[in-house]
Amino acid sequence: MADGGIPEPPRPPRRPKLKLRKWLRALHRDFGYVAVGLTFIYALSGLAVNHIADWDPNFESFEREYTVSTPLPTDDDAAAAAIVQQHAGIEGEPVDVYRVTDDLLEVTFEHRTLHITLGEGKVFEEGQEPRLFIRAANWLHLNRGKKAWTWFADGYAVVLLLLATSGIFMLPGRKGLAGRGAILIGLGIAVPLVYLSTVGSP
Amino acid sequence: MDDRSDPCRSIARREFLMRAASGTVLTALAGGLYAISDHLTSEAKAQTRDDGRPRLPPGQRVIEQLKPMGGVPGDPSRASFRLKVHGEVESPLELDFAGLLAMSPVTRRSDVHCVTGWSVLDAKWKGLTIKALAERAGLRPSARHVIFEGAAGYTANVRLREALADDVMVAWELDDHPLRRQHGAPVRAVVPDLYFWKSSKWLTGIRFVSRDQPGYWETRGYHNHADPWKEERYG
Repeated sequence: MADGGIPEPPRPPRRPKLKLRKWLRALHRDFGYVAVGLTFIYALSGLAVNHIADWDPNFESFEREYTVSTPLPTDDDAAAAAIVQQHAGIEGEPVDVYRVTDDLLEVTFEHRTLHITLGEGKVFEEGQEPRLFIRAANWLHLNRGKKAWTWFADGYAVVLLLLATSGIFMLPGRKGLAGRGAILIGLGIAVPLVYLSTVGSP
Repeated sequence: MDDRSDPCRSIARREFLMRAASGTVLTALAGGLYAISDHLTSEAKAQTRDDGRPRLPPGQRVIEQLKPMGGVPGDPSRASFRLKVHGEVESPLELDFAGLLAMSPVTRRSDVHCVTGWSVLDAKWKGLTIKALAERAGLRPSARHVIFEGAAGYTANVRLREALADDVMVAWELDDHPLRRQHGAPVRAVVPDLYFWKSSKWLTGIRFVSRDQPGYWETRGYHNHADPWKEERYG
């Protein structure tokens, strides 16, 4: 209205608000939630397997040597195995009882093996107990089961690509691609390139 | 107040940097001390093998016992053990454990070298040489390579000339003890002069072939030959 004062100058037409970032944030958030479980599995397994020279990420190994004072029968393998099993306090049925030589009996359980020298009653026991969570994670990470897991693993890889791509464009301004974002992306790309060019490459 | 001129923040950052630098120096010193005190490695580096090569290949450090390096385990029972010797041979064999024992076992001492950087010296193995098994099966002149077959489809390829060396064997005892599950019980291959992944654990077969067939790790980026003295780690 022009009455009573100077009329306001006409405002420039407003540009339509870009909704792309809003969508990116929503996608990033939801795919991020979906990726949590698999990220823990793949990351923990990756750490475990990277250091396989320092520890066994799948099994905990054990061994012990002892002597059974009760004389062991040399003509009844099952009886000798039972005496040693009772002495050692091992539960469960043996998978195998096998006479290796005249004086050596091998008793195999699911997670341990007893090597018994019958004449002396000496026992060398060794075995491995699986590390439940991390072994399962490694099994999935290395895709030992194949079959449908290949599809899940591929899907997870695609989700990671989506997260990385949406992350690039999510923030505007100096914290985004126009500033810090670009520097950190460059750093992330430079690390493998520098490694390849200085430390070694295929 | 502008964050950049906040003295508290500036001091905190300086303190953090100083602590980080101190931590780095201490870690480096500890690493240096560890390296200096590694007398097993130092001694091995000073020794030479009969063939003129240094006893310790480059990039290796000596440890006292084999490390378990994973893999899909096979059946550890000697009772159910079977070893197939097949391929380019006149008389393919399938031996059970008693059959192996009946074939004049031998004892060999050898150094083994893992691609991850550790070596174990003077490991004492009891078993049979590949050469003895090849002679028993009647090797054909067309055989040029050996494929060691392990549990769950694992394979490792070795050149025939190297596989027939006197210290290359199938072993069921290590250092006077039955082979442990973690090291491939009941029987594994031992190829001392190649990186240790060639020494297939949970051995189920020895296949002689005329054409080379890269194995499990060789098709996943590791070197096809795996000579530790040439540091043939990756393909």
